[in-house]
Amino acid sequence: MMPNLTKDKLLVSFSWMAALLLTSGLTVVIGFLIVKGFPSLNANLIFAGTPVQDAILFKKPVFGGLFPAMVGTFFLVLLSVGIALPLGLATGIWLAEYAPTAMKGSFSFIIDVLAGIPSIVIGLFGFSITVFLHHYYDERVFPCLLISALSLAFLVLPYIVKTTQGAIESLPLHIRLTAPSLGASKLENITYVLLPSALSDIVSGIVLAVGRCAEDTAVIMLTGVVATAGVPTSVFSSFEALPFYIYYIASEYTDHSELMTGYGAALILLSICTGLFILAHIIKYWIDQKMRFRS
Amino acid sequence: MENKIKIKVRNISFYYSDNIVLEDINVDINQNSITSITGPSGQGKSSFLKTLNRLWESIDGVKVKGKVKINFGNGFEDVYRKNYSLPNLRQKVGMVFQTPNPLPMSIYKNIAFPLKLIGEKNKQTIAQKVKTALERAFLWEEVKNRLSDDASLLSGGQQQRLCIARALILDPQVLLLDEPTSSLDETSVRVIEQLLLELKSNCTIIMVSHYMDQVKRIADQKFILSNKQLKLI
Repeated sequence: MMPNLTKDKLLVSFSWMAALLLTSGLTVVIGFLIVKGFPSLNANLIFAGTPVQDAILFKKPVFGGLFPAMVGTFFLVLLSVGIALPLGLATGIWLAEYAPTAMKGSFSFIIDVLAGIPSIVIGLFGFSITVFLHHYYDERVFPCLLISALSLAFLVLPYIVKTTQGAIESLPLHIRLTAPSLGASKLENITYVLLPSALSDIVSGIVLAVGRCAEDTAVIMLTGVVATAGVPTSVFSSFEALPFYIYYIASEYTDHSELMTGYGAALILLSICTGLFILAHIIKYWIDQKMRFRS
Repeated sequence: MENKIKIKVRNISFYYSDNIVLEDINVDINQNSITSITGPSGQGKSSFLKTLNRLWESIDGVKVKGKVKINFGNGFEDVYRKNYSLPNLRQKVGMVFQTPNPLPMSIYKNIAFPLKLIGEKNKQTIAQKVKTALERAFLWEEVKNRLSDDASLLSGGQQQRLCIARALILDPQVLLLDEPTSSLDETSVRVIEQLLLELKSNCTIIMVSHYMDQVKRIADQKFILSNKQLKLI
């Protein structure tokens, strides 16, 4: 029989190797992307000759550059998370604090099923809703930014619901009972104690949701993204998005330089996601400070 | 002098997930006294405390049968009456837990939190009451220059005194203490015992304790909890 010490050493070695493999893989992917994409990163790739100031202030349209796709991705993520966040937080809080035990199981099962639905199916659902509204409500309804954002919100809702519910339920009993023992109502307990205490974990769920919204292609392909739509002028416009651009270039490129722009777009997408993650953590830090230290 | 009764516990049974923890408990608790509850671990001492402020209602899977009547100055009120205001009850019956539980906010905000709950807005009144509560808990001198610091940065003993100060800020008529000195050093234990002896002139204190020495030192009325029953010793 293997001695316990050897077992321990084997387990620790395996854990180290797994962690090393994971970080190496990530480094290789990011490194590859930087090596391939960085040389093609320039103002021309993004603005395609349009003056930068005019493009940023939406005075002149950008044709052939990544700027419309960057703006489209940014608004898509903001809108999707903006829709999913209040719904997800409210559902997570309800499941953790208010749902009767019998209903909690059923609802948790439904949320798990929703988390397992492939994104292409959600895209089809969004597309079907658009067709239905086009036929029976208003012929001016077409696939657009809003439909894409709603579909993506549906896709990422389970992440926010599950992390909110889990974060609140995992708080120790003595923390959960503190505010009620001082005379706080259930709502006051949630607002002043439970949510701030669970905020770190909830932000992790939001970060996951942001990443998923930024990278998903299947949903938006069926609900509003097009290759050359320009900067979206309203939520009812078609739009461009970086993941779709990358997919489009990867499958349709005609020469090497075009492929390189795809790598450039991938690097920009990675940067936008990193920027949004950092923003989420800054917001979390700001809320945390505001809650804790305002005397 | 005859003792006045503050709390009447009648036929209280406590169930957790259909297991009976306390069975048909009937006791009277004297006003302006320190009442101790001792007994082996896991017998339901903390559960008994939670029946007095109905805090068990915030725990999943718990059921309680019976009645608790408390005299808040206008005769005995059945605090288990339907529609009895829980925030109102818990503002009059304060509680301090075994594990110090500062809220995720500054020292000042922790102490002022109960005042915020009752809608106190006057900043001067709040500041004065915070100072008084911290002084009563022998903590003012140690924290007066760091009131904006995160409360979780205090030592264990300081956190426990902070929790006592927070429970005292609304001048509760009853104070429930669940092993308040179990995680403290000898000096802090003595400080808190002294505080409790001073408090009992204005407050009825019910304290769970494992330490018989402590019970002998400060308790006026002593109970032991075993076999689901509370017995006077």
